[in-house]
Amino acid sequence: MSVVEPRDAAGVAAALQSAAAQNLAVIVRGGGTKSAERSSAAVLLSTTRLTEGIDHVAGDLVATVPAGATLAAVNSVLCRAGQWLPLDPPRSNRATIGGIIATNDSGPRRHRFGTPRDLIIGIEIALVNGRTAKAGGRVVKNVAGYDLSKLLCGSLGSLAVVTSATFKLSPVAPYSQTLVATVSDIRELGLLARAIAELPVAPTAIELQSPPHHLLIRFETTEQAAARQSERVRAVCIERGATCTILSGQPEADAWHAHESGVFGSEGTIVKLAALPTDVAGILDRIGTIVTERREVHAIIGRAALGIVLLRLGGTLDAQAAIVSDLRREVSERGGSAVLSSAPPQLLQDIGRWGPATDAVPLMRAVKQQFDPLNTLNPGVGAWEP
Amino acid sequence: MNHAFLLELARVVAPGGLITEASDLLTYESDALVHLRATPDAVVLPRTAAQVQQIVKLCRREGVPFVARGHGTGLSGGALPVKNGIVIGLSRMNRILDVDIPNLRAVVEPGVTNLEITKHVAPFGCYYAPDPSSQVVCSIGGNIAENSGGAHCLKYGFTVHHVLGVEAVLPDGELVHLGGPVLDTPGLDLLGVLVGSEGTLAIVTKATVRLLRRPEKVSTLLAGFRSIDAAGEAVSAIIANGIVPAAVEMMDRLTIEAAEAAVHPNFPKTDAVLIVELDGPESEVDELFGVVESLCQGCGASTMEVARDQTQRERIWKGRKAAFAAMGRVSPNYYVQDGVVPRTKLPEVLRRIRELEARSGLRIGNVFHAGDGNLHPLICYDEAVPGQAEHAEQVAGEILTYCIEAGGAITGEHGVGMDKRTYMAQMFGADDLDAMQRVRCAFDPSGSCNPGKVFPTPRLCGEVPGPYRPHPVEQAGLAERF
Repeated sequence: MSVVEPRDAAGVAAALQSAAAQNLAVIVRGGGTKSAERSSAAVLLSTTRLTEGIDHVAGDLVATVPAGATLAAVNSVLCRAGQWLPLDPPRSNRATIGGIIATNDSGPRRHRFGTPRDLIIGIEIALVNGRTAKAGGRVVKNVAGYDLSKLLCGSLGSLAVVTSATFKLSPVAPYSQTLVATVSDIRELGLLARAIAELPVAPTAIELQSPPHHLLIRFETTEQAAARQSERVRAVCIERGATCTILSGQPEADAWHAHESGVFGSEGTIVKLAALPTDVAGILDRIGTIVTERREVHAIIGRAALGIVLLRLGGTLDAQAAIVSDLRREVSERGGSAVLSSAPPQLLQDIGRWGPATDAVPLMRAVKQQFDPLNTLNPGVGAWEP
Repeated sequence: MNHAFLLELARVVAPGGLITEASDLLTYESDALVHLRATPDAVVLPRTAAQVQQIVKLCRREGVPFVARGHGTGLSGGALPVKNGIVIGLSRMNRILDVDIPNLRAVVEPGVTNLEITKHVAPFGCYYAPDPSSQVVCSIGGNIAENSGGAHCLKYGFTVHHVLGVEAVLPDGELVHLGGPVLDTPGLDLLGVLVGSEGTLAIVTKATVRLLRRPEKVSTLLAGFRSIDAAGEAVSAIIANGIVPAAVEMMDRLTIEAAEAAVHPNFPKTDAVLIVELDGPESEVDELFGVVESLCQGCGASTMEVARDQTQRERIWKGRKAAFAAMGRVSPNYYVQDGVVPRTKLPEVLRRIRELEARSGLRIGNVFHAGDGNLHPLICYDEAVPGQAEHAEQVAGEILTYCIEAGGAITGEHGVGMDKRTYMAQMFGADDLDAMQRVRCAFDPSGSCNPGKVFPTPRLCGEVPGPYRPHPVEQAGLAERF
């Protein structure tokens, strides 16, 4: 396998064109926090040299950032003016902007701030025809032309390579605190989250965690507003029989670090379930049964009020396949999905990354064909693959 | 148009669903951008997605182009009929199909108006966030086509952030579901590019939208300033203090006068007013609102009115939302523009607009979303004066050039449509437009779905991507091989 590390967008486009001309597959790699390299790849295109030129306009609450920069590096620049790109995907000290866009990755604070798709306002991409193109711009409000930036979010590098992107930002809140509610029953995590979501409070995260069964509710605002909102939430938690601890400062940071590590801190298959918020309790119940019966589910976290649950699985591939197939049956009946975010190639091959095909698959294939007719880019990742 | 084809259309939509009489077709000649007009050969008014599919399949068989239309409130000629084509009017698909309060979702047909959703869910303490000024009449289908925003999108985003899934008829007549009831659906985010595609990719026949719970507290401030610059400084100070209001709107003297004449909101007679609204939990809003008030005072606000109740708040917003229509009180005709500039470039661009006003001899009112730099200059003219309408259009075009030069965009929420497609080439290069049109070619290879809109020139979808020439990157010195 050859490795190319272009220094700019034109270099990326040239590398793609060259690979396509030789009918070589290209695997795009950012910080390497997610991609599983495949043996069929002939060219590994690394974006890690695309790090020059973070352009932050604090007065406009926007920044244009290069794809190879890590999220941590970007935020260390933005925070000088009291702002940040409000994304907290796993491994943000290594995850690059390009990789985060390609996977549309986010973390607990998706509850308030959304995903890259919700924050991106402009994009520059390199295409396999050797050209570069841009869409959107540097203003928050802009409906001129098709919004390719949203199309690229979550496309897993299958259409084009992102070389830079512009995002709307948020001010860094003056204060943060997290209420940790401990419950005895996994199902209660889903029910409690719903009860909290109905309160007139504005947390930045309502995050479930198991084992042990914790709900983490984070407030990032003024100290007084955080205290008052925590108090309202605490009252509901106590009423429902939970025990509560309030964390701030270093203990709070440590708790969130441990939370992420539960699923992302060690090797394993990671499954992302998307379901209706009211179905979360039932899904957790089902997972609880699996955990009791067998031991393959190692950790569970998730955006409890949004219907997003992440599992880390271990054990044999057969056992993992059975669990994922079982969950797919359960969630797909109600419009949900169970996607393999990260899995060994054999498991991907056996049960597929995405789950049952939808009627949108032919259209996805047509879009792929338009952008990458020779299937040069990240072959094998698309929902349109057989 | 072929008589047999019309008969087939009539059979699909049943009595009253096909319009071919010249006098009845007049309604469909334009959207709210009334100076662009064209007569369609026919208008069909389906009631179901299956009917839309049949109509589109007939059009495909006959090679007839079609234009989907909601309630005709668009401001860029996006629903302008095309020559030898038909209009598919979606006003009869106007049912709210399902409301799921626990999950904060509603499923609606495209002809439901924006405000109807909010009215429908208000008893549950919920609302639909995007609030374009035309929300009383504009349709959700049209909002999806245009990615409509509104005064509160600074904090809450646009239609694209509030539509979770759609059912749509593709230009070949196939039905497709993009997105869905849950937040993440597998594969490419085609919904993200469909929203805002101005009816050029598909016809949406059903949408699942996200509802929000009403915030516990809403605080609204109306502040008068002696100059636009002073009001602009207040906005900068608010943002610099880490406060993201739900809305920040600004109006200048001419639009204040017009609004006063039309709906009597009792605005102060100053050179500029600023409407600042904060919402959220009471504890947070109360604390931050005090900061906003003192910042406005510090920037020289000459008057300050805080809405004490919903009635007072509605009066303030009525003044703002009526601004477009109110221009009719001070000018026989007006031309609305929709350019966007980075917020920090507002003073510079507004100064250029004032110079243009003096030079052109046409009065220009300014009402805009100050938080996000979306300008709505209203260029006053009198179509009875020969040449003045064309002059107004030129002036509007010059303002767009200022927006592009300031690093902004030619449209913030009205869409490109027919109106601004020639300016697309100023904002985007040929390669940018080519990349966008690849999406068009995937959805609509025959180019029959709202043709002629958005892009200055269509791309031929039959083009085979050019022969790849070897282009060793090492040779160019752009990358190294290991």
